[in-house]
Amino acid sequence: MALFRKVQLEEEAEIPTASMADIAFLLIIFFMTTTNFAREKGLKFVLPEKKDQPQEIKIKSENLLKISINDRGEVFLNDEEVRWENVEREVRLRLEKNPNLIILIRTHRDAPYDYMIRAFDAVKAAGGKRVGLGIIGGEG
Amino acid sequence: MRIKRKMVPKARIPTASMSDIAFLLIIFFMTVTVFRKAKGLPVQIPFAKTTERILKQRDLAHIWISKDGKVSVDDNIVSPKKVTLIFRTKIAENPSLITSIKADKDVPYRYVHEVMEALREANALRVVFATKRGG
Repeated sequence: MALFRKVQLEEEAEIPTASMADIAFLLIIFFMTTTNFAREKGLKFVLPEKKDQPQEIKIKSENLLKISINDRGEVFLNDEEVRWENVEREVRLRLEKNPNLIILIRTHRDAPYDYMIRAFDAVKAAGGKRVGLGIIGGEG
Repeated sequence: MRIKRKMVPKARIPTASMSDIAFLLIIFFMTVTVFRKAKGLPVQIPFAKTTERILKQRDLAHIWISKDGKVSVDDNIVSPKKVTLIFRTKIAENPSLITSIKADKDVPYRYVHEVMEALREANALRVVFATKRGG
């Protein structure tokens, strides 16, 4: 009789997986709420390197286009005043004539930043690749 | 006599693969999550037509310049000299750093100029002027 009682019921090993999905969804909700899809946007620009001894690079004046913005928000292309709407077209025309044109955007120190962005945007839209940024009215 | 018993099939939703789907979603969100490091200053960024999307979000460092010329990095109001110091360490940690300048559209240009000079001093040369599409 004792022989028969020794037969044990083998229990099947089971891992409870029913709550696994709950845990997973909890984590999902956490990551979903913390994710911010604030896609960063902007205008790319590479600043010129700062050197100990500033070397002078001579640029022929016909290869340089100066865009100047004064503190009243008026814009000048090589000392002649233009309207904001025409900046892009003018820059494009000049670039077509001379593809090596270097464009320097000089903004007055008290002029709102928005004007500089407008000029920079117009130059980018016109296809200008070689752009420099400067300030009028001194440092500090 | 036979009693006809209808076999009612039990309704069952297969849940075994549910966790797989869930984990897949987790992995997706884990990889795309970039935790925000700083809150910044309230600024109205300008509009620009040629606005581009910046894809390398992990290389971005932000600088805020408010309307009254305050400069904020990592939620601290800092001076331009401090900007150089901070960005020198940042550029040492990540040489492909891109600095996003979030300046208010009405801030006088000299404040932006100061920050750009400070970045040049720190050799953090790749910048992005944060803008919104439009204009």
